[in-house]
Amino acid sequence: MAEIKGKSPRTVIAVTDGVAIPSRRDPGLFTAWRVSFAGALLAVILLVTFKPDPYLQILKFLPDGILITFEVTILSILLALVIGLFTGLGRISRNRFINGLASVYVEVIRGIPLLVQLFYIYFALGRIVNVPPITSAVIAMAVCYGAYMGEIFRAGIESIHKGQTEAARSLGMTSVQTMRHVILPQAFKTILPPVGNEFVALLKDSSLVSILAVSDLLRRGREYAAQSFAYFETYTMVALVYLIITLFLSKLISIMEDRINAGGK
Amino acid sequence: MRAVNNNVMIRVRDVVKCYGELTALNNVSLNVYDGEKMVIIGPSGSGKSTLLRVLNRLETIDAGEITVDGAKVNDPATDINSVRKEIGMVFQSFNLFPHKTVLENVNLAQMVVRKRSRKEAAEISRELLKKVFISEKEDQYPTQLSGGQQQRVAIARALAMKPKVMLFDEPTSALDPETIGEVLEVMKNLARDGMTMIVVTHEMGFAREVADRIIFMDRGSIIEQGTPEHFFKNPIEERTRLFLKQIL
Repeated sequence: MAEIKGKSPRTVIAVTDGVAIPSRRDPGLFTAWRVSFAGALLAVILLVTFKPDPYLQILKFLPDGILITFEVTILSILLALVIGLFTGLGRISRNRFINGLASVYVEVIRGIPLLVQLFYIYFALGRIVNVPPITSAVIAMAVCYGAYMGEIFRAGIESIHKGQTEAARSLGMTSVQTMRHVILPQAFKTILPPVGNEFVALLKDSSLVSILAVSDLLRRGREYAAQSFAYFETYTMVALVYLIITLFLSKLISIMEDRINAGGK
Repeated sequence: MRAVNNNVMIRVRDVVKCYGELTALNNVSLNVYDGEKMVIIGPSGSGKSTLLRVLNRLETIDAGEITVDGAKVNDPATDINSVRKEIGMVFQSFNLFPHKTVLENVNLAQMVVRKRSRKEAAEISRELLKKVFISEKEDQYPTQLSGGQQQRVAIARALAMKPKVMLFDEPTSALDPETIGEVLEVMKNLARDGMTMIVVTHEMGFAREVADRIIFMDRGSIIEQGTPEHFFKNPIEERTRLFLKQIL
């Protein structure tokens, strides 16, 4: 999870999850990331080449699941961003009711394991409307991650100096205009790294939706294992595919961060 | 320079402002006239910045009444945003928007608040940037500018709203000595154009040259007020003398 430090006006949001922590002593070529990524890639290639039965079959069976995993992850993160923005705004609202509502939401969600939430929302929704499992899975993931995202937005917004709001308001801008034109564009830079981090975390957690009859990567693996009894081989492959995807995404995010930090303020 | 007439632009009546135990403003009353240049001086913590900040409701008040150009600032029925667009404010720490270029900084509120088109806004902005001698920097970002340059852009940004009053909250206190002059120069030009100005500052040279009236504040109250001549030749109050002795 993203760790949000202190309440100082310049909030620092440190990211430590999932991504290899860069060390200055890393000898150029052999960074932890490179070793893991190349290792995983090499393992897949070797297994598929020298033991196509069952590894190639497994690999051929998985792409549908990978697509579903991405679909669930992307839809969930987009929805979570929207929920998170409003939660974050609610958490800094001076309106007691709105603030209380947002705070209770964050507390409740953070206090319940994601797996329990998934079950709960899946069956609760099922009682009211008949939606496909993937829809309730996305809603459940988004409701959960929206709470964490809300804290990221809150910290990001609070990290912008009070003088910015004062300058905008003194020019006659409304609080909504100030948020939209002055605060959020600046907060975006602070928010992006932890949001990227949440994205990777959400992708991993999306494997939980396999219990809700959603044919994601993990469930496809389970289906293959159940019919072939090649449990060990299947889960080896599933783990490697997850690893390659998350490592790849982490790298992408850190490149994006560098770009943004290098760009003008 | 004395373009003051008798129309009251800002009326402050018995204003009280407390921060917990601390009384920042203690029954302050004051009229500022159309076209007047008022300089507020006083030791730190005397309430002079607070007085400025209650005028456009950046701080709320606990008692009293403030009207700006006829609008009651603290009346809940008043649209504070429409009052604020008539009151330009310049801050000690400039508070330019760092994610926007100089030109965009001056454009933004014109487009968002005054609903001017980008073209129209840019025209006004460029004219003002010329007025504060910083035309050549319009595509730069605030961090690329010196403090004095940033403050001049901040003045242009406030002027772009065509305000009726300009408030300056220690505009030169965060500046390197060599850039103070350029900011004061811009402010003097503005005074010459007849702008109604309230300036909180420690620049006594500026006060002497520009002010129609100087207000000395201490511990939340106005202790003494008068013309620069009165102030620098024979202030009456002991506290005023003490303060001036320290600062001059």
